[in-house]
Amino acid sequence: MILLQSPSRFLLQILQDRVLSGDKGVDIDCHTVEFDDVRYHIQFSLRNPKVMVLSVALPLPPPEAVLYDGLPLGAIEAIKAAYGLVVQILDPPKDGFDLTMKINLTKLPPDEEQRNAVLTQIASVREVVLGAPLKLLLKHLASRTVAPNVDKLVALVHRPNESFFVAPQADKVTVVYPMRFQDSIDIVLATSFLQEFVEARRTAALNNAPSCMWSPAPPLELKGVPSDALNANAGFVTFVVFPRHVEGKKLDKTVWSLLTFHAYVSYHVKCSEGFMHTRMRRRVESLIQALDRAKSDAEKLKKLVHGGSFKRLALTL
Amino acid sequence: MDAAARPAVVIDNGTGYSKLGFSGNSEPCFTIPTVVAVNESFLDQSEMCSSANWIAQYNAGVMADLDFFIGDEALSQFKSSGLYSLKHPIHHGQVDDWDTMERFWQQCIFNYLRCNPEEHYFLLTDSPVSTPESRECTGEIMFETFNVPGLYISVQSVLSLSAGYAFLKSISDEDSVSASDMTGVVVDIGDGAPHVVPVVNGYVIGSSIKSFPFSGSDITQFVLQLLQERGELIPPEDSLDIARKVKEMHCYTSSDIVKEFKKHDKKPDKYVKQWSAIKPKTGVPYTIDIGYERFLGPEIFFNPEIYSADFSTPLPELIDSCVQSAPIDTRRALYKNIVLSGGSTMFKDFHKRLQNDIKKIVDERVAATNARHHVEVKPVEVNVVAHPIQSYAVWFGGSVAASNPEFYESCHTKEEYEEHGASICRTSTVFKGMH
Repeated sequence: MILLQSPSRFLLQILQDRVLSGDKGVDIDCHTVEFDDVRYHIQFSLRNPKVMVLSVALPLPPPEAVLYDGLPLGAIEAIKAAYGLVVQILDPPKDGFDLTMKINLTKLPPDEEQRNAVLTQIASVREVVLGAPLKLLLKHLASRTVAPNVDKLVALVHRPNESFFVAPQADKVTVVYPMRFQDSIDIVLATSFLQEFVEARRTAALNNAPSCMWSPAPPLELKGVPSDALNANAGFVTFVVFPRHVEGKKLDKTVWSLLTFHAYVSYHVKCSEGFMHTRMRRRVESLIQALDRAKSDAEKLKKLVHGGSFKRLALTL
Repeated sequence: MDAAARPAVVIDNGTGYSKLGFSGNSEPCFTIPTVVAVNESFLDQSEMCSSANWIAQYNAGVMADLDFFIGDEALSQFKSSGLYSLKHPIHHGQVDDWDTMERFWQQCIFNYLRCNPEEHYFLLTDSPVSTPESRECTGEIMFETFNVPGLYISVQSVLSLSAGYAFLKSISDEDSVSASDMTGVVVDIGDGAPHVVPVVNGYVIGSSIKSFPFSGSDITQFVLQLLQERGELIPPEDSLDIARKVKEMHCYTSSDIVKEFKKHDKKPDKYVKQWSAIKPKTGVPYTIDIGYERFLGPEIFFNPEIYSADFSTPLPELIDSCVQSAPIDTRRALYKNIVLSGGSTMFKDFHKRLQNDIKKIVDERVAATNARHHVEVKPVEVNVVAHPIQSYAVWFGGSVAASNPEFYESCHTKEEYEEHGASICRTSTVFKGMH
C-alpha cells in the first residue's frame, strides 16, 4: 500500500455488512479514531436496522484557520451534493462531535455497482468534509478563475492545531506545508525523505506531476503569517498545482492526497524504519552465522538442544 | 487531546486470526487472518548496495518492500497471482518471523485501523508460555518503529478471565459474582497451541500450565481426512478451506459417541447435512454429504486417540491434572470457574460435555476419599463458563482492561523505554502479582 486510501475501511465494512444482512440486525455502538484526531461514532439501533447514525469529530483547528459552525467552509453543501437523499444532517450534532448524519440504507440505488460507489463515498466522509474548502479552490482552478471573496493566502485545517497554506491564483495554486514531527529520529528521516521526494520528481516519468520544492526556511508565499504557525522542524514542502491536475476525476484524488500529506509522509517514515530493521536483523543473522562457524562442535550441540527461534539466545550461551 | 484521552488500540495476535480494534468497544473492528503475502522478488537485490545497483533497484520498483498484503487480501492475492508467497509470522502462539510481524503490524495500524500510532497507547497480547525475549522484541518494534507513547503486553489467559467476569456481571442482576473472580482455569483453544492455564487472583501459576497438542487446525485436518476417506469428491485446491467451513457451520459436540452413531444411522435425513459449492477451476457445481464428521471432529478433544496415536489424554483429564497440580487451597475456586476462550470452543454443547466429564472425574475422586477415610467431604462444584463472545474473549478482555483509567499508569512508557531499553518489557506486571 503506497497511498493512504480515501474511504475508512471500518465504515465501509460496517455499511456493506449491514446492506447485505437484510432486515435482522444487532445494536451497534462503537467509537473509532483515525489519524489526526478524527473520531467516528457509529450507532445502529434494533428498531431501525437500516438507519445508521454517524457522528464525526474533526481535529482541533489552529488559530489561523477559519471554521463556520465548527465545520470547514462549504462542508454542508459538499455533503448534500455528494450524498443526496441518502444522508440527512442532524442539527445540532451529538455532544462532543462536530457533525451528525443519519444515513438511510433503504434509499441506496438498487444497482450493485452504484450502491458500492455510494457506500464508498459515505465511508470517505472525512475527505468530503475536511476537503470541502480545498475542493472549492481547486474547482475554480480547473475553470481557470479565482474564487470570489478569497484572500491571497488561505489557511486550512491539516492536523490538530496545525494548518497548511493555500495561495490560489488564476492559473495555478500553490500549497505550502510546514512539516513537524515529534520524534528526533522521525525528523531526520522525514527531512531526507522529503529531499529525496523532491529529487524523485525530477525523473522523466513524473514530468506531469505537480512541481515540488523543499526548503528549510519558510518560502516567500508565507510572508505575513504569524511565526508560531511557521515553526517546522522538518522544513517546508511546496507543491504547485496546475489546472491539468484537477480536471474531472483527478480532482477528488488530488484533494485527498493534499489533505493527508503529513499522514502519508509519516507512514513512509515508519515503513523506512521498518525496512531498516529488516536489514539490521538480516545483518545480525549473518554475523551470528559467521561466529557460529568459529564455535567447536560440543558448543554447537548445546545450541541444538535449546533450538527454536532465538539464535540470539544461542549466542549468549 | 493527549494519548491518555484517546481510546487505546487493542491488538490480539493469534496464530490463526488477529483481532484489532479500539478499547471501549464491545467488538473488534477487524478480525483478519494472521497471514502476510509478500513479493519476494526484490529481496535478491537488497544485498548489493553499490550506487549503480541502487539506481537499478530504484527503477525496478523502489516501493517493492511496501508491496505486500495482509489478512483476507493476502489470501485472495495469493490465489489470483503467482507473484506472492504466503507467510505466517505466528506459530503455536509465538512469533517466529519478526520482519513479517513488523510488516503485519504496519498494515494493521496504517491501512486497517488508520490511526497514528504516536497518539494511542497500545495493548498487545502474548501467549502464557512466551519467552521474555519475544516480549522484548515486541517492545522494541513498537517503541522504535511506531513510536507508541505507551505499551502494555498482557497475558491472553488473564484477559479471557476478565472477559468472562465482565460478561457475567453484565447479565446477572444480583451480586452473585464475587469480587475476587480473577481466579479460574482458562481453557484457550484457538488455531495455535491450546493451553490450560490456572490463574489465581490475577497471577498465572506458570508451573501448572498444561498444553494440548490439537488445535482448531487439527480438527479441520481431521474433518478433511474423514471426508476424503469416505470418498467425497472435494476439489483439492480448496480442500482445507471447505473443511474449515464445514467444521464451523455443521460440527457439534455429542454427549456419547455410541449413541450419536445410532442416531445418525436411524434418521439420516435429520442428521446428515449437504454442502454444495462450485468447483473454482471448472465452475461445475457439486455437493458433498456431511455425516459422522459432524460430531467426530470435536470428539478429538475428548478422545484424542481417534486422530493420533501419540497423545491419549482427553481434555477433561488434562484440566483436572492441571488443577490438581495447583496449590491445594486454590483448587475449589479453580474448579468453580473454568472459562472457555478461543474459536474452537464454540462448538455447540462443548461446555456441557466438558462440565459433565470433569464432574465425573472429580466426583469419583471425592467418592474414593469418602470411602477410604470414612468422611463426608463437601462435593466439589464444577462450573464451565460459556458465553457468546468466546471467539474474541481475549480481545474483549483487553478492551475492558484498556478502558480502565489505571491502565494508562501500568503501561510501559516511551520515556521508560528510552531510559532503560527494551528490557522493561520483559516482565509482565501480571507476574508481579499486581492486578
